[in-house]
Amino acid sequence: MFGQRQKREKWFLLAPAMMLLALITLLPLVKTLWLSFTDARITALETTVQFIGIENYRYALTDTEFLDAIGRTLYFTFVSVGLEGFLGVGIALLLNQKFRGCFILRAVIILPWAVPTIVNAVAWRMIYHPEYGALNSMLFQLGFIDNYRSWIGDPATAMNMVILADVWKNFPLIVYVTLAALQTIPGDLLKAAAVEGAGAIKRFRSIVLPWIVGPLLVVMVLRTIEAFRVFDIVYVMTRGGPADSTKTASFYVYQEYFSYLRSGSGASYAVLVAGISAVLILAYYSGARRQNAGTRA
Amino acid sequence: MPSLQKPDNETSISSKILEVRGLHKKFGEVEVLKNINVDLDDGDFLVLVGPSGCGKSTLLSCIAGLTETTSGVISIGGDDVTTLDPAQRDIAMVFQSYALFPNMTVAENIGFGLEVRRVPLVERKPLVEKAAALLKIEDLLDRKPAHLSGGQRQRVAMGRALVRDPKLFLFDEPLSNLDAKLRVTMRTEIKRLHKRLGASIIYVTHDQIEAMTLATKIVVMEDGVVQQTGTPREIYNNPVNMFVAGFMGAPSMNLMQADIVVKNDVAHITIERENDQPLVLQDDAPPSAVLDRQNGSLVLGIRPESMTDSTAPDKQVRIVDCLLDVVEPAGSDTYAVIKMGGIEAIARLHGEASVKQGERTGIGFNMSRLSYFDPDTGLRL
Amino acid sequence: MNRSIKYSIFLYATAVLVTLFTLLPLVWIFLMSISSPHDLTKAPLEWIPSEFDFSRYGRLVDLDNGSGERFLSALRNSLMTAGGATFIALLVAVPAAYAFSRRNASMALLFAFLATIMMPPITYILPLYDIFSQFGMLNSTTTLIIVYSAMLLPFATWLMKSNIDVLPVEVEHAAFMEGASTLFTLRRVVLPLARPAIAATAILSFLVAWDEFFYALIFTNDLTAKTLSVAIADFSAGRVTDYGVVAAVGVLATLPPAFLAICFQKFIVSGLVAGSVKG
Repeated sequence: MFGQRQKREKWFLLAPAMMLLALITLLPLVKTLWLSFTDARITALETTVQFIGIENYRYALTDTEFLDAIGRTLYFTFVSVGLEGFLGVGIALLLNQKFRGCFILRAVIILPWAVPTIVNAVAWRMIYHPEYGALNSMLFQLGFIDNYRSWIGDPATAMNMVILADVWKNFPLIVYVTLAALQTIPGDLLKAAAVEGAGAIKRFRSIVLPWIVGPLLVVMVLRTIEAFRVFDIVYVMTRGGPADSTKTASFYVYQEYFSYLRSGSGASYAVLVAGISAVLILAYYSGARRQNAGTRA
Repeated sequence: MPSLQKPDNETSISSKILEVRGLHKKFGEVEVLKNINVDLDDGDFLVLVGPSGCGKSTLLSCIAGLTETTSGVISIGGDDVTTLDPAQRDIAMVFQSYALFPNMTVAENIGFGLEVRRVPLVERKPLVEKAAALLKIEDLLDRKPAHLSGGQRQRVAMGRALVRDPKLFLFDEPLSNLDAKLRVTMRTEIKRLHKRLGASIIYVTHDQIEAMTLATKIVVMEDGVVQQTGTPREIYNNPVNMFVAGFMGAPSMNLMQADIVVKNDVAHITIERENDQPLVLQDDAPPSAVLDRQNGSLVLGIRPESMTDSTAPDKQVRIVDCLLDVVEPAGSDTYAVIKMGGIEAIARLHGEASVKQGERTGIGFNMSRLSYFDPDTGLRL
Repeated sequence: MNRSIKYSIFLYATAVLVTLFTLLPLVWIFLMSISSPHDLTKAPLEWIPSEFDFSRYGRLVDLDNGSGERFLSALRNSLMTAGGATFIALLVAVPAAYAFSRRNASMALLFAFLATIMMPPITYILPLYDIFSQFGMLNSTTTLIIVYSAMLLPFATWLMKSNIDVLPVEVEHAAFMEGASTLFTLRRVVLPLARPAIAATAILSFLVAWDEFFYALIFTNDLTAKTLSVAIADFSAGRVTDYGVVAAVGVLATLPPAFLAICFQKFIVSGLVAGSVKG
């Protein structure tokens, strides 16, 4: 469209955005990459930084603690997002029905999402408190447990408790995306299936699920990308403990940087974590593109 | 870039408002405009007409400067504007959707072009009021477009175009969003405005009646190609090909298969009829191309009004009995469908004609109004 | 179609369960904030407070005594950081969105924009820390505003782009025909039309910035720049004598986003859905 002037104008319009992103993301990314091939440390003194090739990576890939952290992050990610998906779809199906108060419930569901991540973490830490926590008290009074337990002080349960807190905050997103998809199903399609004698489960499997699976997958991959970065909730609830049982990849890198002050090796961990994220991001775009091509057709 | 022919004197500069020479436009591999040549004299009302997708709107967009051309030259008022911005072309455009600025009042909408040009408010106001008065919308100046009717929005859009007094006005299907009645009113209004301002106008429409009623000059387009350029009467009476013949006029020209035998410079025309004997006509003065072809089949074009029940005696009119397959009274006229020459031909009878479906009646064929087309090329003979 | 009684019971039972799951944690945090410390340290707990005690809120907004200064400065920093970043992000995002929507800028570039903020912040943190400390810009609201506006920019650009896409392009053409420049058209024609989209984008951006923790944790270290997120983490860290105070801070930090989320639910939900599903 238009002439040469407008073509040049395009870059003029994009320039501020590109400069800002180049400064805050691209430049640091390149710097991190460079650091990851050095033995740099965070010190107050001027020290010489040596280029050491792939030494950091060789170490990182044999560092069982780091690999465990990656494993824990993947566990956190897939269990969180899986539960959010399960819960989100179930609740969306419920909210798609007509009942007294369904509009109020639809509005209220957004509240957990609106709670800031840190407040959410702090709140659940208090709920899980071994002596005064609401969870202990409630389970005890209902007769489910005989003794108070230390939910996030016990390596066996800590991670799952963090996951529960994360799921509570993030399931609304899946609910709203699924609900939006459900509401575009033509009512005639379901009526026709019902007339043909398809039961509720059959209708769900052959009409509803195929209809919502595209957007659902896309939003779940997006949540996966977010969940894989997990840091703040762990920082506040457990500081990676007990016994490293909630130490996630981001937290691991954070400690390598700011507790052990090893910027070179920390950078190599960061690059590896970013690499996994990059794979997830590519999956997201190919899924989103397929999804959009589908809706246009 | 080919150099423009320089006009040799003052008068020719002022008389040619627009020249389009050898214009091509490709979108990717698709060529939507092919070698377009269009001229516009000062004060002309040129209508670009054709079915949707024929390229007429793209052509207008190229003239406006909203679409880049692939090759060719556009000059306005003698200046080459091919690569200039819309704003530098001294033109104004009225859009199909009116494209009014919803956040501005009518006065701000009309004065927008002046605001852009930093004309001070005190000078702007009388100009806006003058344009509004011309369009009879003085009372609406403080309203927002959302509170206007379709016809009023149309007037505001025109007001915005004419307040700057540009060299050339472009209208992109301006009436297509109005209801049928208002469309006729606005059509008259635009025609009156053109007369009064003496403005040069290019007007795009798919409605051939709009084209016929408004234009001083019509350009018929199809498939990215200019099919014919001429006055409404030329286009109507002497369509250069079967496309133009079929497109202009409603109901459209009957184009039927016919066999011709030429004897002594007289064409004897035989048209097959379904469930009936062949219809035989005789054209005493056929065009020479028909005589040159001698015998054979071709396409005969007759407009519905040249197939009527008029009983006025005329040497040119041959009356033949025809079977009326369907009769459609339309008030002022009665249309009758006659199956002949491989088509359902339409005859235009008197409004009060007392004919019935399935009856036979005498139809007068006006032999002076026949058109002949080559069945292979579709071109007029 | 008639519903069976069984189905109705199932429906309402699930609805009640979902409501409890959603609201109980919130209700409990609020109750904690107004319960007496004595009630909060019983085992098992006293669920309904023996007395309603709003004094913690009073102390939090009282500058002279108690934790007022700590809380109010964090609140101010959060408002300035989130507000400033939202403003800058929109200022930069709108022209970029216009380039993507109307000037044929490559979508691959927009995807690259979005990919940069999907990366873990840990990838960028150390070099950013170095740069800002070199310029003596650590522990400053300005620094956070710059970083946050970069963080908000891709999503804001994307949302604005998909909103500009559906505006009538003819209106812009009309403005160009009348001789308006692109910036004039943006300001006078596009922005007024896109006002609802800008509001939605601003609200979502504000919420994201309000929620941010990681950069704030690394870049700030005292009252001059610490945001609410970091302040709350501080409040709750270490030896806590009264959990009710922590709960009260949490409630106050949740109020602005919860208020926005409820009032502008339509905007937010449509923005979230569009932002997460379309690519």
